[in-house]
Amino acid sequence: MLRFNRVFRDGGGFDGALVLLALAYLVAFSAFPLIYNLVISFQSVDLFTIATFDRPFVGLENYRDIVNDPLFWPVVRNTILFVGLSVVFQLGIGLALALFFRLDFPGSTWLRGLFLAGWIMPGLVVGAIWGWLLAGDFGVVNWLIQSLGLTQQKIFWLSDPSISIYSVIIANIWLGVPFNMILLSVGLAAIPADVYEAAELDGASRLQRFFTITLPMMRAQLGAVISLGIIFTLQQFDLFAALTQGGPSNASNVLQYWSWELAFREYRIGHGSVVSVFMIIVVIFVATAYVRSTRHEHVV
Amino acid sequence: MLSSTPWKRWLLLAIAVLLVAIYLFPLYWMYVTALKTNTETFANPPTLWPHHAELKVARVWNDMGMGSFIQNSLVIACGTVAIVVLFGTGCAYGLARVRSVWMDVALFMVLMLQVLPPSLLITPIFVAFSQLGLLSWPRTGTILATAANKLPLYIVLVRAAFTQVPRELEEAALVDGNSRIGAFLSISVPLARNGILVSAILIFLQALGEYVYSRSLITDRAYQPATVGLQFFVGPNASDWTGIMTFAAIYVTPILIIFVLAQRRIVSGLTSGALK
Amino acid sequence: MTLQIELAGIQKYYGGYHALRGIDIAIPKGQFVALVGPSGCGKSTLLRTIAGLETITSGAIRIKGEDITRQPPRLRDIAMVFQSYALYPHMTVEKNLTYSLRLKGVSRAEARRKAEEIAAITGLGQLLDRYPRELSGGQRQRVAMGRAIIRNPKAFLFDEPLSNLDAALRVHMRAEVRKLHNSLGATSVYVTHDQIEAMTMADHVVVMRAGVIEQQGAPLDLYDRPVNRFVAGFIGSPAMNFIDGIVTETGNSVRLALPGDPTLSFAGHRPAGESVTVGLRPEHLNVVADTATGNTMRLPVSLVEQTGSMTYVVTETEPMLTVAANMSRAILTAKSLDVQIDPANVYLFDRKSEEALRSVG
Repeated sequence: MLRFNRVFRDGGGFDGALVLLALAYLVAFSAFPLIYNLVISFQSVDLFTIATFDRPFVGLENYRDIVNDPLFWPVVRNTILFVGLSVVFQLGIGLALALFFRLDFPGSTWLRGLFLAGWIMPGLVVGAIWGWLLAGDFGVVNWLIQSLGLTQQKIFWLSDPSISIYSVIIANIWLGVPFNMILLSVGLAAIPADVYEAAELDGASRLQRFFTITLPMMRAQLGAVISLGIIFTLQQFDLFAALTQGGPSNASNVLQYWSWELAFREYRIGHGSVVSVFMIIVVIFVATAYVRSTRHEHVV
Repeated sequence: MLSSTPWKRWLLLAIAVLLVAIYLFPLYWMYVTALKTNTETFANPPTLWPHHAELKVARVWNDMGMGSFIQNSLVIACGTVAIVVLFGTGCAYGLARVRSVWMDVALFMVLMLQVLPPSLLITPIFVAFSQLGLLSWPRTGTILATAANKLPLYIVLVRAAFTQVPRELEEAALVDGNSRIGAFLSISVPLARNGILVSAILIFLQALGEYVYSRSLITDRAYQPATVGLQFFVGPNASDWTGIMTFAAIYVTPILIIFVLAQRRIVSGLTSGALK
Repeated sequence: MTLQIELAGIQKYYGGYHALRGIDIAIPKGQFVALVGPSGCGKSTLLRTIAGLETITSGAIRIKGEDITRQPPRLRDIAMVFQSYALYPHMTVEKNLTYSLRLKGVSRAEARRKAEEIAAITGLGQLLDRYPRELSGGQRQRVAMGRAIIRNPKAFLFDEPLSNLDAALRVHMRAEVRKLHNSLGATSVYVTHDQIEAMTMADHVVVMRAGVIEQQGAPLDLYDRPVNRFVAGFIGSPAMNFIDGIVTETGNSVRLALPGDPTLSFAGHRPAGESVTVGLRPEHLNVVADTATGNTMRLPVSLVEQTGSMTYVVTETEPMLTVAANMSRAILTAKSLDVQIDPANVYLFDRKSEEALRSVG
């Protein structure tokens, strides 16, 4: 009891116990699945063997199947397109809005905060709303671009195989802009005003100030925001479920959705795990870059 | 910060309002559609304002079985928040207070687990849960998995709140005769209360919108949450848009109200945690 | 005489960093001890080890003869006043004052009565229901003090408690803290980087540098008989002047490395040709009318700083010297200054080891 007192009531064991408790939970429900996923990816798993513990190991067979699947490369291409376009536009629009809302006018902070209403919405609801906005026959987007004279024909955003991926990208950009903007606003606010004043006295124009002061001083912040943007985009699942479900005929499928479809629609669980393994490697790679960039910032 | 003339400030305000309006148009469209009659919904050109507004809340609530969906959403969200707060608060505190190699390792681990996409973890979780027989309690399983997914974010946010509490306050409590646990509960937790509350609200809102775990682990419709329910009605062949938008509006309005009330604090809590 | 606090052979490592290197201090009941030194010298760490907020690597801490080295803070019965005051921001002044009593299970009425009593002593009478954020700096400081006093602890620890106050209030609180100490018959350990605070308040001053005690003793002992150049330079304001010098053949005077190679006689005797550092306190350099009186130097003036009561003259020499002179209009315009030094007031230090060779008195 005395020993218990010394370690947990008064000593460092207290912090250790608190941290370990949460870590144990995370290991059980996050880290273990990660490892288990790797194991499954080497096994043959179907509906009948799912609940048993001894399943045949098939070596790299699942990996061969996936890479040779005719869907593999189109889906990889879609994923890159999805992540690339989403991140570029989220960042671009986010930065523009962050710069605009830094200007001095009444209510700027409050109005800026309203953008986060988009971010807080469940992805599935956002998907449902965009599904209605982009609906082929009665969607308001089609009506808008037709009355502006941009096209004559209705665009079938969700059912045209060459377009459907872009519909999801548009919805995802809408979802990601607020988060980018808020994080970038924080970075902008952290640049001291007197640096700008000094530059102005030195004769730098507004544009010169942006390129010689704002951008260089935001470098760490931009790195973190880009990494986070990639991570959140790779996590995006709900929009696909609500908008296109990867279709039509997999034209808008991406790796994270394909992995789930393989496991839960086609019950090719081993194959789904292989796709997950690929994705997780990418995510961990990006996350390491993110953690390192924030750590670095922390030390300075 | 950059001062301008009054005339220019009002112009900027007008532009800002316009930007917000454009951005939030999808939300507006959801509410407008929810209020329109079926005929008006499919009118061409579309009406920007409902001419024959009708509230279909009761019909949609009953026809689409929203009662059970919303109840399940609440059960899952509350369960998730309970687990996350219980496990996460102490962990966040430990990570904020102790500086050692081991704590750095733990923090790194938490940050890495924060970014794992749930859609990729669900396959092994599903397999493991079915082996353990957890699928017989699908909501419990969903809560356990969702909590693991949200726990890292909560830890990161609350850790930032605890680092704001001066260490000396706790030391004063120790010298005044308290134990570590006592100082934690009577000094640190009350002072980090705002951060804890905001983070818990954020986790609650996110858990309310959780989809992939519920969709994969819960097969019985009676236990499915609102996201899965909504997914039934949307998809490439959706047609009852008034009903869907009413469903969506009923579902997200409380979320939006909570958000608007806590907006300022959520924003500051989020930014302090995400980049520090 | 029983010792209230006893520190014996205290060693403390932070990983590879040796923060405290064998600290021995014995503090009798009722004494006011000041720990003083430049920042990073380990004085705050030492104070925190007494409180139990830091563990020590080896050595022993005894309070009233009882070994409390491994005891947690709550069992040590020691009160501490923090530099930031560390008032609990979510509690009223009364709750702040009585926090320790409530932990001990003292009844609410009794705690209230004690709080009122303490508030009267510390001049916080009307403020019991206020929150710390509603108080001025000086009032917060009083709450921090009151919170320590209310417990009637075995010892008081102060961690630079006055450094956040403005200059006038600091001087006032200095006297008040000391008065309180006397009236309570308390035993106090007081950490400060300000040697004036240490000199004016303490019975016993401990000068630390890099985790080692350089010297400890009564304030005037440290002023008169510093054991080395570091202590000599640290105690006294403005700081002592140091000039390189060589002892002359006579053994009772020293040739200074200043323009014109002036020699200065000192009381006592050192071997001829010894390399020394000569220490001259600014207040021991007496400004005289001419160089006729003996043991004088003529120094070119670079800068005159007036404080009103005193005038500090900085000389145009290498190294610069400071002379503390009484206010005089003539000095303001003088191009050079004649100063005379009493041979008894010359300090000598070994140039290499910096140990004191000759002190005053």
